[in-house]
Amino acid sequence: MAKEAEYAIVVENLTKRYGDLLAVDDISFKVRKGEVFALLGPNGAGKTTTVEIIDTIRTPTSGKASILGMDVTKRKHEIVPRIGVLPQGFSSFDRITVRETIQYFSRLFCCRKTDVDGMIELVNLKDKAQEQYKNLSGGLMQRLGIAIALVNDPEVVFLDEPTTGLDPRARREVWKLLLGLKEKGKTIFLTTHYMEEAEFLADTVAIISKGKIIAMGSPEALIERNANYLVLTLKPVDEKAIEIVRKMGFEPVRDNHRDIKVRVEHMDDVQKILNTIKDGGASLLSLDVRRPNLEEVFLKLTGEALRKNSAGGVAE
Amino acid sequence: MNPRIVVANLIVSIKSFYRARSTMFFMIAFPIILILVFGALFMKQDNMSFDLCVQDLDHTDSSAQLVKTLDLDGRFNVIKIDPAINATQYTKDNKLNLVLMIPEGYEGSFLQRMALHNPDASVTLTYLYDPSSIFVSMKMQILNSVFAGINQKMSGKPPFIRPAETSILAKKYRFIDFFVPGIIAMSVMTLSLFGTVNLNTELRQKGVIRKLSTTPITRTDWILSNILYQFILAVISTMAMLLVSYAVFRINLHIDAWLPLFIVLDVFAFVGIGMILTRFAKEAESAAAAANAISFPMMFLSGSFFPLEMMPGFMQTVARILPLYYVNEGLRASMVFNDHMAALRYAAIIGVFAAVVFILGIIATNWEEGQ
Repeated sequence: MAKEAEYAIVVENLTKRYGDLLAVDDISFKVRKGEVFALLGPNGAGKTTTVEIIDTIRTPTSGKASILGMDVTKRKHEIVPRIGVLPQGFSSFDRITVRETIQYFSRLFCCRKTDVDGMIELVNLKDKAQEQYKNLSGGLMQRLGIAIALVNDPEVVFLDEPTTGLDPRARREVWKLLLGLKEKGKTIFLTTHYMEEAEFLADTVAIISKGKIIAMGSPEALIERNANYLVLTLKPVDEKAIEIVRKMGFEPVRDNHRDIKVRVEHMDDVQKILNTIKDGGASLLSLDVRRPNLEEVFLKLTGEALRKNSAGGVAE
Repeated sequence: MNPRIVVANLIVSIKSFYRARSTMFFMIAFPIILILVFGALFMKQDNMSFDLCVQDLDHTDSSAQLVKTLDLDGRFNVIKIDPAINATQYTKDNKLNLVLMIPEGYEGSFLQRMALHNPDASVTLTYLYDPSSIFVSMKMQILNSVFAGINQKMSGKPPFIRPAETSILAKKYRFIDFFVPGIIAMSVMTLSLFGTVNLNTELRQKGVIRKLSTTPITRTDWILSNILYQFILAVISTMAMLLVSYAVFRINLHIDAWLPLFIVLDVFAFVGIGMILTRFAKEAESAAAAANAISFPMMFLSGSFFPLEMMPGFMQTVARILPLYYVNEGLRASMVFNDHMAALRYAAIIGVFAAVVFILGIIATNWEEGQ
């Protein structure tokens, strides 16, 4: 049993109401110091409300949240210098350059020793140091936002959807940056609706839906616990293969790419399916066997996709 | 309050302003344009002369002498029109508002009165006028006063009542001297009110305020840096207005410590109001509309442009509850009348108001969302 001092964040029975809307419904969890904790859920699930209560932007209707042992509603002025926040949809002053923006936020924290050049290099913005904020691309803006969240060398970093709207390459760059922070021992609280992001970065994932945390654990444990099967993906030449698989008693489904996805319990089932297809005279262009991902866990737990148009679901 | 944070914020505001060249231009240009336009208008009023069309149907030495008398009066620029044309049609065609007609037989009647001392001899001069013109009654009043003077001279008796004019001011002031302090007060108000509302709603909509709420900056730091920033803009704007007013209109105003004091109080009061508006009008558009709703009536009712005496009694009462009225009057008391006691009185009133709205502004400023 971990001691309280081992936790950077403790949330107990947290609830937030906006009139009749229950945005956060009596949630509780703990985040260990030095870990990457991801709150995963679709848009409107309550991720941002939760993180904004914990990082002191909002106040809860009831319940309690504490950071480094301090109650967020009572000791904000002590908490703020020890945390770094990248709010959702981060924005800064249009006509202020990258360097000036980092200097400005550093001054707000009264950090005399902030290594501005080091921060600029950390987020790989050296070439853009003299560029005004309004001229940056979305990815560069997010990287600047992360630099700002780090100007006070915080113990806990909150990143609310840090890669939303970024192209895959920019997203990978942000992930690399976050892994660097993890190596430095920072506690990172991340919200995202990208399951691959949570899977790639997080030590612990909490899945939130309709204001409630419906599952929590390491990505591996969540998958093991909630989706203990294999996903076989077949790219057939014609329609014969799907009929053969169906006749074997499996439930194949077509995905967005017209591939056949089949949920199987063991590797032996894969072998049986391949043999039967071969014996039935059907041909395959390719095949793939993998473990389910968090997307499928989420689908199983909620019956909904994490994102619209997300492919990867397998019929129960 | 943390001075380091206030200065950091101020530097960012000034850099943003300096780099927004068009905003900078209009901020300085707008009040200067107002001063040039209104100044030119009022300068003309100080030395006002009207065009006066005269049709001399008598065409004699005596009637010519009368026309010359009107010309020499200085208030009219006399334009003679041909006696042969139809004056009514001419007035309509040329959109004139007044034509003075000297009838045929004018000299005969004049000689009857002056040479033959016939007290019954008289002449009727016709004012052919357009009643829809706003200036025509003023022209006719001036003409009446000129003719009254001529009648009095012809009677040969000195007037019994003689008016004497004594200005209460040590120096001779013109309307522009009264106008410039009003424009300074109004410009500082609009700068502070709209500057605060625009900046805060824009930053809130963009999410910058949300980010700032996760830093050690306090509401007091934020409002004070806003006030300092608006004060610097107000000083730049005021200096530009005064320089142009001196250069173009040779204004005659006292500049002393009261001017910066009233600018500070003006800024405090309207930044405070701006902060309160920003709290209640969440969208940039509604906040700007609310700022307009406050500033426009204040501009016209508080005596920035027009003297309060021109307004009905109840509106004068309304003016006295408007904060801009006290800034206008305070600036005029110090800059025009050099009346320190009156300036002190107005400064005290606007000072109390500014302190109250400043505190309310701090209370109203709320960065924590979804309470």
